[in-house]
Amino acid sequence: MNEEREPGTGGAMGEVWVVVADEAWQAVLGVARRAGGAVTAAVVGSQQLAESVAAAGVPVVWVEPARDTPAEAYAAGLAAQVAASHPALLVGGGDPAARTLLGAAATAAGARLVPGVLEVTGGAPWTVRRAVLGGEVIETLAAPGPLAVIVASDEADEPEAVSGGPGTVTKAAPVPAVMVVAGTEPAPAASGVVDARVVVAFGRGVRARADVALVERLAQALGAEVGCSMPIADDLGWLDKARYVGRSGQHISPRLYLAVGISGAPQHLEGVRGAKVVAAINNDPKARIFRRADYGAVGDLYEVVPALIAALQQ
Amino acid sequence: MRVVIVYKWARDPGAASVHTDGSVDWRGAKMAAGEDDPAALAAARQVASGPDDELIGLTLGSGDASWALARGVQTAYSVADAPPLADNAATAAVIAAAVRRIGDVDVVVLGDPKQDPGVAPAVAGHLGWPALVAVTSATSEDGQVLATRRSARGSQTVRLATPAVLGVAAEADVDRVPGMKELLAARKRPVTSLTLAELGVPVADVESRGSELPPATTARVFEGPPDEVAAQLVAAFRAEGVL
Repeated sequence: MNEEREPGTGGAMGEVWVVVADEAWQAVLGVARRAGGAVTAAVVGSQQLAESVAAAGVPVVWVEPARDTPAEAYAAGLAAQVAASHPALLVGGGDPAARTLLGAAATAAGARLVPGVLEVTGGAPWTVRRAVLGGEVIETLAAPGPLAVIVASDEADEPEAVSGGPGTVTKAAPVPAVMVVAGTEPAPAASGVVDARVVVAFGRGVRARADVALVERLAQALGAEVGCSMPIADDLGWLDKARYVGRSGQHISPRLYLAVGISGAPQHLEGVRGAKVVAAINNDPKARIFRRADYGAVGDLYEVVPALIAALQQ
Repeated sequence: MRVVIVYKWARDPGAASVHTDGSVDWRGAKMAAGEDDPAALAAARQVASGPDDELIGLTLGSGDASWALARGVQTAYSVADAPPLADNAATAAVIAAAVRRIGDVDVVVLGDPKQDPGVAPAVAGHLGWPALVAVTSATSEDGQVLATRRSARGSQTVRLATPAVLGVAAEADVDRVPGMKELLAARKRPVTSLTLAELGVPVADVESRGSELPPATTARVFEGPPDEVAAQLVAAFRAEGVL
């Protein structure tokens, strides 16, 4: 992609940094490389993470967190180091630690900070394409330098081609903020929904606990596992917590996800980002679930579900 | 512990209408309580639940400040002329300046929404404080904050010294609607109005060059008698090869 850049702009555009704290760095590096200029990576994490980024041909400044110290503790120290190089562009991912490191680096560098970014081109002033309103619209922005961007998390995570040999790894040891992991709890034992090819999930549209049997019959007819939205597991306790799908629950990638009586809150939809086909049954034609769904049935689930079971059994 | 809860600092994405040419019309929408604001307030109340603790509200824009005041917050500040901004660092600069003006703040708690994921980290950056985002609940103990993040990989609780910034992400769409008594009491609670000029924050934003619709991915929606709808769904699933 670099050859598409206008000759002579590379040297003038200043440094491009990627900020990495987790495995989701391929898309971030892709956006940085396509912006042009020499890319350096600031990595807070394991030696393995630092070496895998370096193997993509990028010089790495690596911070190894002390035991039980979250990556976020190094945000200010790393930010000072990045800002000292007067970066023109900072690129990071949407995961919590990466965002926190990027926010610190962006403010230290006096940079603007734009989220949801798909592509950055041009050199300062940068042309930025970003997803807004949950991806309903793609907006083009003009931003003076220095600029920091958070790459849209829906971006495809394609492996980046290696350019040249591996980059060097230089260890840095900034002083961490006072922050310690005080306790962890493992996730509840994985339920069948995680690996299932077909998942039927229900939400508050199911009015009574006894009606869960109706959803279970549908699941049986589909050869599916049963999942649910968070309130069903957390507030009502109708299903085991390991079966709830959403931001803080299970993230699943079935071939078919059928949402029954689920409105489609963004927190829930984050859990089904990997689904191949999303279908929904809801009595509200304006339900948010229909914006994400490939197929929708508008109607009373107490009528549509029995009809669907019958149709599947034919 | 002096805790600031920042709320109603962005517009409600639901207030925007998208035209067929991809342009976005906000129709003069004001700042609204975001989907993560109730969870942020719940966490802030937990952090500030001790007898000597204080919980202060901070909101941006000219909207009604009583949202938090009707939900247990005693006093609030409002930066009335703060505009909605695309630049998360600029929004964060306004919040950070107001936090400095409020003074002696130990913890800043705000929502950590998907559409503005850079604001909470950049508030911390401007203040020079450590931050934790994607927090699902928090409390305090011996002058330190205990923040918990719950994910599919399990939950993690981090103990952090103050001052600190917490970005709180809602786990579900829940808000406790206050009663009439609380709404009336909220009107009597003091709101201090601040301006960008008083705070000394110059406001500049990135410049929008317009917007367009992404390639269409709209749902095929079936309506009608349940039998027909069911048959159409089954046919669609078979055609997709997902059964």
